[in-house]
Amino acid sequence: MLELREVDVAVGKRKILSNINMVVKPRELHVVLGPNGSGKTSLLNAVMGIKPYEVIKGSIIFEGSDITQEPPHVKARKGVVVAYQIPPPIKGLVAGRFAEELMRRFNVESSYAEVLSEVLEVRDLLSKYLFDKMSGGEKKRLETFLTLLTKPKVALLDEPDSGVDVESLNRMSEALKVALSKGTSMVLVTHSLHMLRLLRDHITSVHVLYGGTVVHSGLYDEVVPSIERYGFSGALTQLARMG
Amino acid sequence: MDRETLLKALNKPSPYGPDVDLSRFNVGLAGEGVLEEGEVDKISSRLGLGSGLLRKADYLQVNESVLSKFMREKLTERGAVVLPTSEALKKLDWVREYSWRLVKPDTDKYTAATKLYGNELGFFIYVPPGIKIKDPIYTCLFITRKEYAQLLHNIVVVDDGAELNLVTGCGVPDQPLGSLHVGISEYYVGRGSKLTYTMIHAWAPDMVVRPRTVVKVGEGGEYVSYYVIYSSVESLQTYPKVYLGEGAKATLNSIVVGDGKSVYDVGSAIVLEGKDSAGEILSRNLGRGSSLIYARSRIEGRAGPSRGHIECLGLIEGDNAIIESLPEISSSSPEAVLTHEAAIGKISEDLISYLLSKGFSEEEARAAIVKGFLNIEEPKLPQQVREVIKRTIEYIASKAVG
Repeated sequence: MLELREVDVAVGKRKILSNINMVVKPRELHVVLGPNGSGKTSLLNAVMGIKPYEVIKGSIIFEGSDITQEPPHVKARKGVVVAYQIPPPIKGLVAGRFAEELMRRFNVESSYAEVLSEVLEVRDLLSKYLFDKMSGGEKKRLETFLTLLTKPKVALLDEPDSGVDVESLNRMSEALKVALSKGTSMVLVTHSLHMLRLLRDHITSVHVLYGGTVVHSGLYDEVVPSIERYGFSGALTQLARMG
Repeated sequence: MDRETLLKALNKPSPYGPDVDLSRFNVGLAGEGVLEEGEVDKISSRLGLGSGLLRKADYLQVNESVLSKFMREKLTERGAVVLPTSEALKKLDWVREYSWRLVKPDTDKYTAATKLYGNELGFFIYVPPGIKIKDPIYTCLFITRKEYAQLLHNIVVVDDGAELNLVTGCGVPDQPLGSLHVGISEYYVGRGSKLTYTMIHAWAPDMVVRPRTVVKVGEGGEYVSYYVIYSSVESLQTYPKVYLGEGAKATLNSIVVGDGKSVYDVGSAIVLEGKDSAGEILSRNLGRGSSLIYARSRIEGRAGPSRGHIECLGLIEGDNAIIESLPEISSSSPEAVLTHEAAIGKISEDLISYLLSKGFSEEEARAAIVKGFLNIEEPKLPQQVREVIKRTIEYIASKAVG
């Protein structure tokens, strides 16, 4: 469905990601882990085509077509949608009206919106301006809601867990499961091991991004406990020893 | 005021806005102004008032002709009066107490010209004590004549404990006319009464527009205005001033969408004369093309406790538009709390990127952001009026891209 083939990414003249390969099939959940500054957000933005991130080598294939140079809105309309880590406040744009507009554009049935809205507890946020005067957790829940509301074929989720309390993490995980069950594939960037535990049974593969490249990809049980125990650099040494 | 003083005032420019030679314009083209329904609909749709205006307007004036047959009889049944000002002054002696009291005829050349040559055309509305007219009253002032001076004098009196929701659309067909519109408006809001006033302007690039508005709000009264101008003009200058009595409130909202080579000098002033009075001025200014927008706002605290706030935001599209934001707060009372905020910027790339990532094209993203920027929610307006404003903002946003 979505395939990254030997992708290099640059910001201006500076290369920040090298030789990224990933294959995401229908209904799969791929997790990207890595220390701060390893390039996780850059990877999602580059896949989406958000400036200033630019794919300078390799290709992004979606449903058999090369979408590397397609603008973000075209990718979104095809079904690749990113959830921002820190969505910007847009004063004057009422969240509920924006949600209705997304439902109209993506032809989403209201029953699906109802379920997501309930799971993510966003009802009270829909009367506010988009991400304006909201707490960090509220922004995350609303952004996850709006992203999943488009019923994407592939959702690129950039740390939906950061700054979110345990109760909200549980709700977030439930929402991702709902979307997975409806056929959405996901690439999830996260730091939350708690969230990973909640999603464990749904995780297809865990990719470790380190120094601008994917240094290891493996199953949850192979990768996550090791990172939990040894940290990123220690875990990578362990994983290398294991071959 | 004697004629000599007025004739002298014909040479008195306004302290704000480009000075205009009034000899460019003709006055007194009586008898003109009958419009076909299709023509009226064309202008009214530019004002967001939709079609069928001939059937729903309570007062419609085209050039100097008052199409009075459109005044609603049901208002009269409730004791309200809707008349051309000239007729009201002739028929009702007491109307003189309200005429040229808030606006002095020699204020500047535009007020003087209106007093001298305007023939007291315009609308007069009176709402008796305790009568609350919730349904909006529509008054429409159109110009179809070339090089013509439409000089109007409007008086609105909302007596104690009464309510009126007034919507005024002023416009021209979308074609060159080179005419002048002056509207002198004197509004009296009684004790504990409420007036909401929505004004939408749709002019043409060669129009000169000089509204002059002064409002007096009595004890515990409330005045809410909502002004939208989105078309090109040669120049438009206005600086409505609202005086608030004890416990009175006012909110003045204005949306200015500049385009072409137009000059807009749009101000709002509130004077907090009574204790416990409160005023707020909210303005949104969108500069496009080579337009120049002066966004003036002023709150004066003369009594306390009282409070006032100014929020003036500007958005510039393109490289040639200029916005000058001039918020002023002035106080002679230690118990008046006055604040202001002002900001001017361009459309943030972050916002565009965000909307692109949700499937909006760049054009759609810009339109959505502009629509949001211009959207001042005013819950105190009747729902029907909010719908009119919503339609107008949507129309503006759809045009304000590219």
